[in-house]
Amino acid sequence: MDPSIIEFIGEKCMISIIPNFSNEPLHLIYGPVGPFRAGFPVFVPLWMATHLRKQQKCRIVPPEWMDMDILEEIKEEEKRSKFFTKMPCEHYMVVAQLVMSTAPDDVPRCEELRTVIKDIFDIRESKLRTSIDAFIKGEGTYAKLDNLTLLEIHSVRPILPYSLDHIARYQRTATASQRDTSMLSASMAGSSSGPNSNSLFSQ
Amino acid sequence: MFVQDLRNDFYRQLVGKRILIVVNYDIDAICASRILQALFKYDHMLYTVVPIMGVTGLKRAYEEHQGDVKYVVLVNCGGCVDIVELLQPADEVTFFICDSHRPLDVCNIYSDRQVCILGDASLEENIPAFETIFYDSEGEDEDEDESSDPEQQHDDSGAGESDQEDQAPRSRKLSRLERHEQRILKQRARRQWESERDRIMFEYTQFSYYGRSAALMVFELAWKLSKDNMDLLWWAIVGITEQLLLGKIESGAYTLELEEIQSHVSRLTNKTNDQNTMSASKITFENDLHLVLYRHWPVTESMRYSRYSSCQLKLWTLRGEKRLHELLLEMGLPLVHARQTYGAMDLVLRKEFFSMVERLAEKYDIADIVYGTFTLSYGYRSRYAAADYVYALLAIMESVKKHKTPEDCFLEASDALSRQHKQLLSAGIDQAKLLHAAVFRQVQSSLEARQVHSAGSFFYYVLQEEHAFFSYPYALGLLARFLLRGHVATSRARQAPDLPLIASCPLNASEGMCLLVGIVPVREDSPRNFFGKAFEQAAQKSGVALLQDFFEPAVVQLRQSDLTRFLDSLTVLLA
Repeated sequence: MDPSIIEFIGEKCMISIIPNFSNEPLHLIYGPVGPFRAGFPVFVPLWMATHLRKQQKCRIVPPEWMDMDILEEIKEEEKRSKFFTKMPCEHYMVVAQLVMSTAPDDVPRCEELRTVIKDIFDIRESKLRTSIDAFIKGEGTYAKLDNLTLLEIHSVRPILPYSLDHIARYQRTATASQRDTSMLSASMAGSSSGPNSNSLFSQ
Repeated sequence: MFVQDLRNDFYRQLVGKRILIVVNYDIDAICASRILQALFKYDHMLYTVVPIMGVTGLKRAYEEHQGDVKYVVLVNCGGCVDIVELLQPADEVTFFICDSHRPLDVCNIYSDRQVCILGDASLEENIPAFETIFYDSEGEDEDEDESSDPEQQHDDSGAGESDQEDQAPRSRKLSRLERHEQRILKQRARRQWESERDRIMFEYTQFSYYGRSAALMVFELAWKLSKDNMDLLWWAIVGITEQLLLGKIESGAYTLELEEIQSHVSRLTNKTNDQNTMSASKITFENDLHLVLYRHWPVTESMRYSRYSSCQLKLWTLRGEKRLHELLLEMGLPLVHARQTYGAMDLVLRKEFFSMVERLAEKYDIADIVYGTFTLSYGYRSRYAAADYVYALLAIMESVKKHKTPEDCFLEASDALSRQHKQLLSAGIDQAKLLHAAVFRQVQSSLEARQVHSAGSFFYYVLQEEHAFFSYPYALGLLARFLLRGHVATSRARQAPDLPLIASCPLNASEGMCLLVGIVPVREDSPRNFFGKAFEQAAQKSGVALLQDFFEPAVVQLRQSDLTRFLDSLTVLLA
């Protein structure tokens, strides 16, 4: 899946905004949203929040997990542990990216948050890669990883099954050719073979 | 009529409708149109932006784009011409005019519903009262009819109606006499009224000047809608700085506006929670120097090419150069550093540069070099003064080439305002450097060759062939201002500071048209320009075909061959 599709899925997360207009509740396909009262916070989907923010009709309230201390703690936890830690939000990268690009003014300490979230993402990404590396080298047959978010899974999804497929194919041809050579050498040892087979296996 | 409540009477009317925005070819208008476009984008409104250069451009643009459009916004154009008569619009079309040119045409001011002028009526000066200009001629016509009827019947006397006539000839005769007298009195009163009206209109339209910046007005609209942000404020600042730098408003008016802008700046800076993000734009108010683009140039060049410092120190002469070196010496700025780009100077020197110039300004007679202005800084490297933006945009706008039409230049200048297109702005600054260097060289050669001639009541300066830079109104205006100041600084004539200058440059050799610009005298503080009317009258008297097409009345076009005749009649007029 494309990252843009993952962003689309991630935009369904609810986020709190403070509108500067008043309106009746909106009835969307997956439920009503609103009512909007100027100055009072209301929960809306992220796509609506960014849309309204671009029109300067609201102010976005950053989610609770977008806070320096909490994220620093998560980063430390991630560095220490061998396994993946549970992320505060399934789509933390998408939410962070969208909120901080459309409304950097609404988020306090925006630049530092950006760095911390990128750090967390990098740590998880490298952990994923090392574990895949170990998996392939160790020739295991199955692996289980907890707490991976959708974006991370899809960063390896195109290539991992494809490469495992290739490895399996090589292994199959390797075992098949091994069988062939052992059969042929056995037949060669006992009889005088024709010139064809001699030329093939003379080296 | 005047529209003061921009939010309800202007913006709310436009929401959800299809709008045509016609923009004049100057920087204030570009800034205003950008702010307006941002506001329209927030509300998803359909609009078309058409750049135009003069009255013919306005007519052509309106004819092309008038289908289906009921609301037209004119930015910095059309205030001084009778719009309804010029464009002949349909009845439902409404025009909103946001123009900084003055005097506004009286038909626009007193129009009932079709033409709305954005602004405060009380701030306008000298608007003639309605009764003094528009005569209620209905009563007059009735009397005329009545007085002509008895005459007609009298002429038909042979038609057999003599009884009726005989019955009341005496009363009619008396009343006819009375009516005759009354008619004569009325005609005299009418003539008197007309001459009075002509006098008032002449006084009203005699001087052309500029009112409040259009960009600032549109920014206030954005503020009332709570949709303002730093970008829009910066564009408004560029708009009003352009008015100051190109000599359209006096420094007093500029200083008054500064206070308001400062309050906006402090409000918007404190709105963001976080003061430390580097990518956000920050606007700071500071006292700055009237040195052209000095952050992007070596200091010596910036001093040489800025009109004020150059003319006070006479930097085109050898003695002037020596004085410049003296000044730098006293400032403690080594020549090596002064010759490098400002950004390459030592940090300590850079920090002290401003304070040192301020300190020495009195001594070297460049006291007015300090003025208050705004600087925009964002990211780690970009720091631009409002004046830098103005000059860069000017250079981009006048960089018309064979494959680059004026519309392209307009759009490029419009893009250069946004922060994403930083390379356009840098290219503009480079162009502006070339322009200023060319102006200086031209001034130097002209003053040495004494090409500024006096015609008694004004100076005139004629360029013989078309120039890559000076065939455009703003660049020619810059050259003319520099030249006038330089000439006044070098000339010993007592009345030199009181004489205006007329500069002319051929537009293109094939058509033989040339551009004429009139500049106010140096000693006059206010930029009220009487050249508009003067050019018109001189053209009438001498029978020269003058093309007063631009919205700036002091800039006209005429044929190269008519130039001498025109100047002669102008001399006679102004003597």
